Amino acid sequence: MSALAACGALLQRDVRAVLRSRSQLYSTILLPLMLLAILGTGVSQGLDPTLVRDGDYATFLVPGMIAMAVLFSSTFSSASYYRDRDSGLMRVMLASPHSPRVILLGKALAGVSIGGLQALAVLAVAAAIPAIDLEWQYGVIPGIALAAIGIALLALLLNGFAQVVASRIRTMQGFHLVMNLVLFPLLFFSGAFFPLEDLPAWLKVLATANPLSYGVDLLRIAVYDDGPGYFGLPLDFAVLTGLAAALFAWGLQRHPGYHW
Amino acid sequence: MTATAAPPATDLAAQVQGLSFAYDARTAPSAGSPSGASESAKRTGQALDGLTLDVPTGAVFGLLGPNGSGKSTLLSLLVGLRQPSAGEVRVLGQPPSAAIRARIGLLFQETSLDPLMTLRETLWLHGRLYGLAGHTLRTTIAQRLESVGLADRADSLVSTLSGGMKRRLELARVLLPSPQLILLDEPTTGLDPDAEAALWARLHDANQSGATIILATNKVHEADKHCRQVAFIHRGRLAAQGTPAQLKAGLKRDAVWVEWPDLPPTLADEIAAWEGVGKLTWAHPTLHVTVDAASAFVPRLFQAAEDGIRAIRIRESTLEDAYFDIVGASLSDQGVEG
Repeated sequence: MSALAACGALLQRDVRAVLRSRSQLYSTILLPLMLLAILGTGVSQGLDPTLVRDGDYATFLVPGMIAMAVLFSSTFSSASYYRDRDSGLMRVMLASPHSPRVILLGKALAGVSIGGLQALAVLAVAAAIPAIDLEWQYGVIPGIALAAIGIALLALLLNGFAQVVASRIRTMQGFHLVMNLVLFPLLFFSGAFFPLEDLPAWLKVLATANPLSYGVDLLRIAVYDDGPGYFGLPLDFAVLTGLAAALFAWGLQRHPGYHW
Repeated sequence: MTATAAPPATDLAAQVQGLSFAYDARTAPSAGSPSGASESAKRTGQALDGLTLDVPTGAVFGLLGPNGSGKSTLLSLLVGLRQPSAGEVRVLGQPPSAAIRARIGLLFQETSLDPLMTLRETLWLHGRLYGLAGHTLRTTIAQRLESVGLADRADSLVSTLSGGMKRRLELARVLLPSPQLILLDEPTTGLDPDAEAALWARLHDANQSGATIILATNKVHEADKHCRQVAFIHRGRLAAQGTPAQLKAGLKRDAVWVEWPDLPPTLADEIAAWEGVGKLTWAHPTLHVTVDAASAFVPRLFQAAEDGIRAIRIRESTLEDAYFDIVGASLSDQGVEG
């Protein structure tokens, strides 16, 4: 009874569910792209954003929107967790010859894969838009690899967090409330919408304490030619890897709980 | 696949000794949950209280008791989804474990299907979780769908199935990895008689092929008709065990249930001595008695009772009467009205 085969089957099943539910597939990619197009163009034209990449706000938004796609996707993935719990399939899976951790791992890996691919899709579309000017300071291929690693770490971190929250909150409504209350504010001062460099000190402190800031910073380093970034690659990696490992492991520790 | 590899080490499919389990505040079913634990179980949280039971290999074994008597808890302990607070469990000759679950099939009382998967995907996922793969899995899925009459719906979404079809799909899923032990938690709740008969036909086939079946139910006729051995479970303990015929041995032909809140004890003794009257059990406010002929007994009872009787119910004697005689409590928790 290979745990690997079980994880693979659970992953395949969740990916199939996302592909079948087109709305979930597209909305996660579309909202960041819409923000990119509308907010990016609007701010570039309507304000005087000379502090931001020579006034090209749309290009500035790319890393933030990639992070946002991961964030959305991890929230959606946990909806599948609730669906399995409410439909009763979760208790069937827990009664199978695998420990609860294997079941959770399979579902979490599905969430990470789906979120990662959706975020990469946002990056691909952004790169294809002529008005958006990505510079890839380490070259295109290494830059994409770096971005992919950043996306994977963010996805692990956010799926782990979503799993921890989902195991504690009984209803999906409550879950979305918590995710909206905690994660979206984090996105606002992560450097996704404005650069961290010129912020007031108190906001800089908040941004430094915000795990998402390191993800956005890593993505900026990957796609721009701005030098070492706000925190720098070593610190970005250290913080993201540490938190992703801790939250993902914590998420797997939480027993899903069944009603029988 | 190991489903048929290791034969059981003993001739007991399940063995339970002095088993106790208490729900703590966090895991207790919430108030008003449909599984509604009995009043006493709610107060104490004690679902099983020193239960001892042997289920022979190859049996169709019924656990008969009212809601909240601990039947479902026992099933979850058998597969190791919960840990007992005291006592010992062995299934298929071993302590419960993830590995042993590969040889156990479970059918839950409530539908446990993802409505947005197709029938084939549902069985595929299950097969993968039980270590089946490739050609074997594909042909087994086709066979099982065929055997429950759902082959033509293989690529429909589960959400398009009727209630009876969903149950058949779940049965196909349980039987997919050819389990040696099948645990059923009130499997026919909400099924019409035809669907129930079809379900049991497939289960008896599986039993013929060597699978042991343990049925948890509060439906008397189901235990009576399908089980070769029945255990009466009351408040987490074993109250009696035997074949349905053995358990019904002391019963007369007709059962009379009388709601009679202030029956004088002396009158009860007098009634018990009447001709044609079998065992008489008094559990306030219900008088339960089995008799040779209700047509002779009931008029005489009304004469003796004057105004005391509130309600009366007459039926052919069943296991439910044996349960009341032995346990002193009704299976349905509803006494005469039930």
